[in-house]
Amino acid sequence: MALPKVPIFKTQIKPNIDLVPPKTLSARREQLLQYINEDGTYLPKSVLHADLDGGMLEFVIGELKTTVSGKDISVVDKIITNQRWSQFTETWNFKDQDFNVQLPFITVVRQPEVKFGTNPSTQYTIPNRKQFYYARVPTWNGNQKGYDIYTIPQPVPVDINYSVKIICNRMRELNTFNKNVLQTFSSRQAYTFIKGQYVPIIMNNISDESVIDIERRNYYIQSYDFTMLGYLIDEEEFQVKPAISRVLQLIEVDTQVAQGLRARQFPENPDEFIYDLYYTPSNSVIVDDQVDYRIDLSLIGTGNVDNYFVYINDDYYGQNVSNIQLNTGDLFRVEITKTTVGQEANVKFQAKLV
Amino acid sequence: MAERLVPITRLGKFFGGEDFELDTSMGQEWLEGDMNFTVVLYRIDRYKTRVDDVYGESPEGGIQFLAPVELKGYVQILAPNAQRLGTSRIEQNEPGNLRFSIYQSYLDELGVDIQYGDYIGYYETESKVRYYSVADDGRVVSDNKHTYGGYKPFYRTVIATPASQNEFFGT
Repeated sequence: MALPKVPIFKTQIKPNIDLVPPKTLSARREQLLQYINEDGTYLPKSVLHADLDGGMLEFVIGELKTTVSGKDISVVDKIITNQRWSQFTETWNFKDQDFNVQLPFITVVRQPEVKFGTNPSTQYTIPNRKQFYYARVPTWNGNQKGYDIYTIPQPVPVDINYSVKIICNRMRELNTFNKNVLQTFSSRQAYTFIKGQYVPIIMNNISDESVIDIERRNYYIQSYDFTMLGYLIDEEEFQVKPAISRVLQLIEVDTQVAQGLRARQFPENPDEFIYDLYYTPSNSVIVDDQVDYRIDLSLIGTGNVDNYFVYINDDYYGQNVSNIQLNTGDLFRVEITKTTVGQEANVKFQAKLV
Repeated sequence: MAERLVPITRLGKFFGGEDFELDTSMGQEWLEGDMNFTVVLYRIDRYKTRVDDVYGESPEGGIQFLAPVELKGYVQILAPNAQRLGTSRIEQNEPGNLRFSIYQSYLDELGVDIQYGDYIGYYETESKVRYYSVADDGRVVSDNKHTYGGYKPFYRTVIATPASQNEFFGT
C-alpha cells in the first residue's frame, strides 16, 4: 500500500530517543558532583581565570560554530595576548601568503580587567572567607580508622568581559554568525561547562567596527560583547582537618576457659524458691517473726507431720492448708503435730514472689 | 548624428595637437617599451557573474571573468601598513595599495576599460603574484595633474587595494 501523501513535519519525528531517561533532581546533583570530583579527588578542582577563559573559547568553538557555503569559519583557538610570536603560532593554519590571518575568521578578545562578580547568588553573602563543610572522607592508616573533614570557602564571583569578533568579507557570513549568536542567546544567557560546573554567559551588546574606506581593503568586523558570570575556586584555600578517629583493639581469649569461670547466678530463679520449715526433735512450733515480702505458698510436702495449723498475725488461718498468701509485715506461725514424737519434722512449701 | 567636436586652441601659440601626439607617443614608447611594467587585468564579466538577489554578493566561485589582458603602465606599490584588525588583537601587515598609471590612448587601442571592482595581478617575483581590487578606476581625469600642461588629459591613475586570498587569487 502506498504511503499517505501527508507531509511529515520534522517536529513529528524524533530522530533520537533516549533509552536512559535523563537524571533529574537529586540524582542530577549527584551526577554534577561526580563531574566535579572525577579523576579521584574528593575536592573540586580549581577554577581560575585561565579555566574560565578556556571555557569561553570552548563555548565559541562549539556553540557558535558557523558554516557558510559548506566551509567552517575558522576560530582563533587561543585568546590573543600581547605576545606577538604567540599570535603567529595560533593562527598559522589559516594564513595567507603574507602570513596575515585569512578572512573570514572569529576571534575572542578578553578585556584584561576582571571585576568583582555581579552574580547575585555569590555576591557579598559570606564574610571573611569562612570555611564550609564540603565532604567527609574516611581514612585508615593501618591502625587507626577515622575521618577527614574537607572544607572550602565560598567561591569568589567574577565578571569577565569578552568580545567575540567576526572578521569577514561577505554579508552572508555576518548573517549566519549573527543568527547563531542570537539563537544561542535567545534567553539572553547561555552556559559553558567548566570542570563540571555550569557557568552562565550573558550577551550585552553587538557593535560594528567595519572598515569602509575607499582606498583600503574593506572588510566587516562585528563585535559581540559577552559577560561571563564566573567564580573563582582556589584549591589553595581548601582545608583538610582530621575529625574523629577510633582505635581498634583486638584481644584473643580462650573461650573454653572463659566458659568454665563464669559465675553462677544464685538464686537461679529469684521469683520462686523453697520455703522449708524445719522442726527439731524437741520443737513443734515455728514462728517467722515478720515476712519481708509478699509471697504465695504452695505445699510441696511434709515429713513426720500428722497435722499442721497455720496462724497469721496470731489469727488462726486453717489446718493443713495447702495454699497460703503472706503479705509484707505479716507474722507467720505454723504449729505441727508430729506423727512420731521426739523425731525431727519439716513442712515444705514452694514460695513464689508476687 | 555625428559627434560634435570642438577644437582645443589653448596654448595654441607654442603647443598644439601635433605636439601633444608627439610627446605622448614618446612617453608611451618609454613607458611601454623601455620600462615595460606589466600587470594583468582581470575584468569581471558582469553579465555572466551570478549574484544573490539581495546583497549582490557572488557565491563561492560565482564570479566570471573576461579574458585576462596584459597592460603596460607605470606601477607604484605603496608602503605596507602594520595595524590591528579593528579592536581585535590580531595584528597584520597590510600590503600597500597599487597605483597604476596608464595612457588612455593605450587603453583605447586595446579596446579595454578598467572598471571599479576589477582585479589586477602584479608579479612581484617569478613565483609570487599579488592581486588587487580596483578601488578607484581613475575615470575622472579633469585635474591638472592628468593633463599635459593643461592641454588635454592623457593618462589615468588607477588605485587598487590588496585583495584577500579568499576573495580572489587568479582565475
